[in-house]
Amino acid sequence: MPLLDTKNFGRIAFESRDTIEFPRGLPGFEDRRQFVLIRQERARPLVFLQSLEEPGLCFITAPVLAVDPQFRLKMSEEDREAADLSSVRRPRIGRDVWALGVISIRETGPTVNLLAPLVINLRSLRAVQAVMRDSTYSHRHALPEPAEAVCS
Amino acid sequence: MMSRRAGETILIGDRIEIVIAHIGRSRVKVGIRAPRDTPVIARELKLVREENRAAAGVGPVTDWGGLLARLETSPQVSATLSDKGSARQEAAPKN
Repeated sequence: MPLLDTKNFGRIAFESRDTIEFPRGLPGFEDRRQFVLIRQERARPLVFLQSLEEPGLCFITAPVLAVDPQFRLKMSEEDREAADLSSVRRPRIGRDVWALGVISIRETGPTVNLLAPLVINLRSLRAVQAVMRDSTYSHRHALPEPAEAVCS
Repeated sequence: MMSRRAGETILIGDRIEIVIAHIGRSRVKVGIRAPRDTPVIARELKLVREENRAAAGVGPVTDWGGLLARLETSPQVSATLSDKGSARQEAAPKN
């Protein structure tokens, strides 16, 4: 099994067939096309998107449904095409695709990009960062503060 | 502000040309002719690019407890994760 140097987890083994391909890269990282998803039991529900081409490049993400259970995926035709979804008019999260929001950690607290989730085709593992159509989702959706002192 | 009909053009300086190609019910198709060194992108894409760069700029994460706490405090989230959500998400890229 090939080995991979990662940003957060040292060197790990991965299956080549689990490689996720972004044919257009990600905005800002257009030449980074191949990634793997890393999940850790103790970090659930976080999902780490680690670049195969650049060990220092790893995005922390969370399933959009874990952030907003009502989240509605609305992709443009171009984005569907990039993820091999031309024939799937309304891709469904969990059945056709995975949708992950990229998390930014900033001084004011973490935010999730719900405007443009990473959409991964579950069959082909082709993926695209899709800007939601006609959407009011924020590219900096704030995660709520943990409730303080919840005593039992 | 400037009103235009389908097929009409706007000039910005003498090197940038914007044609209103088609007006639909809720969106317009716009053709843009600009010099090669003038990038033409949708504003959202610029936001996403900046956001990605900020996200990637975070140092290696050693403790994500604070982050998890924020994801877990939302009551709907735990509901989603404890039933359908986690099963569906877990079943993912293994085939």
